[in-house]
Amino acid sequence: MDFFIQLFTDPLGFYSAHQLLISQVGINALLTLSMYITLNCGMLTLANVGFMAVGAYISVLLGLNTSVPFPAAMLIGGLAATLLAVPIGLPVLRLSGIFLAIATIGFGQVVVGVILNVPATGEGQGLINIEASPATAINYIFGGLVVVAFVLWRLRGTRLGQAWAAIREDEVAAEAHGINVARYRLIAFVLGAFVAGCAGGLDAHLNFIIAPSEYQFTRVVGVLVFAVAGGFTNVVGPIIGATVLTSLPEILRFARDYRDLINGVVLILVILFLPRGIAGGRRPGGRGRLMALWRWPRSGPATS
Amino acid sequence: MTGRLLTQLAAQAPSFYLQQGLNGIFSGSVYALFAVGYTLVFGVLDILNLAHSAVFMAGAVLALIFFANFGLPFWLAVVLAIAICGAIGYGLDLVAFRPLRRRGAPHISSLITSIAVALIFVSLAENNFGANSQRYPASVAPDASFHVGGVVIDQLSILILLVTLGLMAVLAVVIRRTRPGRAIRAVAENPRAAALMGINVDRTIALTLVISSALGGLAGILYGLSAHDISPYIGRDQVELKGLAVIVVGGMGSITGAVVAGYLLGLIEVVALVTLGSNVRTGVAFAVLFLALVLFPSGLFGRRRERRT
Amino acid sequence: MHRPAFGAILVVISALAVAACGSSSSSSSSSYSGKTIKLGADISLTGGGGVYGPQQKNGIQVAVDMINANGGVNGAQLSVDVQDDKSDQQTSAQVTQTFIQQGQVVGIIGPTLSNSAVAAHPVAQSLKTPMLAPSTTGQHIVGDCPYKDGCTYIFRDSLGEATAIPNNVKYAVSQIHPKTAVLFYANDDKFSSDGAVIFKQALADNGVNLPADGVQQFSKNETDFKSYVTTALSKTPDVLTISSLGGIPAKIMIEARKQGYTGPILGGNGLNTYQVSQQAGAQGKGAQSGSAYWVGADTSANKTFVDAYKAKFKDQSGNPQLPDQIAAQAYTAVLIYAEAAKNANLTFSDTAKDRDSLRAAMEKVSIDSPLGQFSFTSQHDVKQKVWINAFDGNGGFVNLTSVDIS
Repeated sequence: MDFFIQLFTDPLGFYSAHQLLISQVGINALLTLSMYITLNCGMLTLANVGFMAVGAYISVLLGLNTSVPFPAAMLIGGLAATLLAVPIGLPVLRLSGIFLAIATIGFGQVVVGVILNVPATGEGQGLINIEASPATAINYIFGGLVVVAFVLWRLRGTRLGQAWAAIREDEVAAEAHGINVARYRLIAFVLGAFVAGCAGGLDAHLNFIIAPSEYQFTRVVGVLVFAVAGGFTNVVGPIIGATVLTSLPEILRFARDYRDLINGVVLILVILFLPRGIAGGRRPGGRGRLMALWRWPRSGPATS
Repeated sequence: MTGRLLTQLAAQAPSFYLQQGLNGIFSGSVYALFAVGYTLVFGVLDILNLAHSAVFMAGAVLALIFFANFGLPFWLAVVLAIAICGAIGYGLDLVAFRPLRRRGAPHISSLITSIAVALIFVSLAENNFGANSQRYPASVAPDASFHVGGVVIDQLSILILLVTLGLMAVLAVVIRRTRPGRAIRAVAENPRAAALMGINVDRTIALTLVISSALGGLAGILYGLSAHDISPYIGRDQVELKGLAVIVVGGMGSITGAVVAGYLLGLIEVVALVTLGSNVRTGVAFAVLFLALVLFPSGLFGRRRERRT
Repeated sequence: MHRPAFGAILVVISALAVAACGSSSSSSSSSYSGKTIKLGADISLTGGGGVYGPQQKNGIQVAVDMINANGGVNGAQLSVDVQDDKSDQQTSAQVTQTFIQQGQVVGIIGPTLSNSAVAAHPVAQSLKTPMLAPSTTGQHIVGDCPYKDGCTYIFRDSLGEATAIPNNVKYAVSQIHPKTAVLFYANDDKFSSDGAVIFKQALADNGVNLPADGVQQFSKNETDFKSYVTTALSKTPDVLTISSLGGIPAKIMIEARKQGYTGPILGGNGLNTYQVSQQAGAQGKGAQSGSAYWVGADTSANKTFVDAYKAKFKDQSGNPQLPDQIAAQAYTAVLIYAEAAKNANLTFSDTAKDRDSLRAAMEKVSIDSPLGQFSFTSQHDVKQKVWINAFDGNGGFVNLTSVDIS
């Protein structure tokens, strides 16, 4: 409770006490948006944390070994992730549903495996990022978040956004209407990789160390949880999901040993009682057709 | 590089390869047992039950608590732990899956609730068992080993292998030949048609989760026995991920496939370790998975299924 | 044993005893009475470091209760807020920031793991708050840390592996004269990979051959060690070395014994807790490590600690628990803060100033602790006797020898 009391009575004190947490909220919101991009186009891909790692390592290596200033290093990291996403996406996006999800998890594991075997990355010991600066990172993080959220929001009305929506609603119909499904899916995948790669660079600027253990399976699962719990029918949902669930452990600090337990219970309640996610409000139904696509690709509905 | 490697490999005695092969098979037993429960639920519900790793952990932890804290004989502790894991499976369906099924919620929601349940169980274990790593006392299982031609075989690994294969055989018979087994297959094929045939779909799904979770609990106990490692975290990361790899390669929902793929993964890991060195082992398992998926989108043993909606 | 030092230790002990017995009438300290000295502990109660954190919590609790029951610090009560960093770097940094900015602590104990230290220490440094690491044994943690702002506020009372491992190896070589060794280490953990580097160097320095393919590396999340052990044993090593955390060392020992290995086993700081000795059981017997602590050390400071610990903590069957190195170092960390606070002329109103005074006072601390006579080096590091301990095969330890570091 102290958490909220301070938030409202002493916002400056709250900010200085929780600056790292707030920054982490921003990073997680960016990652969740990167997943939203692909979810929004009807794909469950879990490569985000792998791309995040690529962005983080490239930007830190640039910062440590060259005179490239931070924001540029971050963008180069993001672009590197984007470039990598093309050869990965071409074969993998032929898969769908659970197979796509698992293949992209496999990609994330391979990235970690590569980091562990390339001496320049510091291998298992990670890289100490002496260029890190939490105080300035927070500005870049939220600047970036605003830009990404705005662009994604504006994209909805464009040809690209409409193509994604059509693919999400009904892939076969979209194809029939002359939409190049494979191409638009690849665009979503690559764009998601860019956002995740930039988030990696920002995250590395916030933390004094980057290490392969930061980019494990559990982290990408966490991002998926943010997206689903927040609701991914619009841009706001992922941001709210990341905000609420990243702060929850801190809010629940008073519960000490039982934090994770309460965290789990809250999560179940959200999914059971807020079908459209935290941001979506409590309006059952209404997703009908759209949600039907979220079944894994198998014959027949599982409901009796 | 390759030359040096080949020289090294040639320098090893044949017993070394035999021993490594056995290692792969013994590790494969746990992968197979874990994955069978995973794949069973996927076959029927089309959902990935990420709470399966927590049930795996609960089995190992509960058996130790019953044995060490309550002083029960070990066999009874094991039976009780497996029974409770089965009950957990039922509770899991009741709390995390059935309400969503009723509503026709997307499967991704069930994935999240299963993650939440895992979080709860790990937290319970941390609080009631402790975050440290323990083992079953050496006295509870055969720990003798015999040496045959330079190869060491321990009784426990043989026992685990036999239990795994025996259980899989029993499970196959149950699924194919018994009434509840046929109901499970009918629901897996098409729930609506099954309901029309008079099958109680909810009860069948609950039964599937009970069987799957009981198997998961047993897998946890056998893992605890063979790896000497019982902690709130044993099901996470590696076991969970490898389980995923196994059910994909085995063809989602295929029990035989999961068993074969479980042993295959055990062997692939050993081959990677022996030929490429210890540092690439984890990466290799997933590189193989990645390739397998791209080349055989329905898994090696899967029925050919429509890949797209 | 340095005989002449004994007298000096006695003097310190009696001084400490007098101070601890509540001489709250000390003139400079009247401003302390009724106040609370707030500290935070940022340690790993769950996750990979969960094998160690709970003992640290116990050690802290024993020290706090003992000090407060004996009149506190010049009359001020000591309070330590213990928070779990879940063995996660980011959580560790966040907990540190919250302690400093919100909790208004004057000093922090932690983190448990070297991995987390690299994330949390720069935060404390930038916010100018003393942070004392009780169990981080990796390299470049204090003194020669690579952070931009340096690490003038960072201390540790844990003996670095750079001292412990070479002494352990040297002693083992003198006893068993091994020719070849194999090394197991987790390659995605700072503590473990630092330890591996030190092991390689120490083995080379002592003339033990470590073949390139005798090095087995794995993830700290690895579950199955059968094939690693088979490969390692195929090199017919005379000694087996392990640098890893948590449950892994015990699993490797058990597997190696199962596969017929009968030779000696050397480990790092990961072995210095009862949890690991218990897990290894009979198969762990003889596994030895360099430690900063021996529970049977015959000093009055240690006896006070052991008795208080045994009185407070019981195992499942109700028998008193013995403290291990991890608990002793956490206990000592509280004693160090208490002693520094006593001499720091704290204002209890200007937190920033108090943190600076505390930092300065810590550099001058000289106390008798369960770890021995304790004061920081100019690098804020530890220079102390190394105990070579081994698992007794029954969940406990035996002491083999001790090495004085001059």
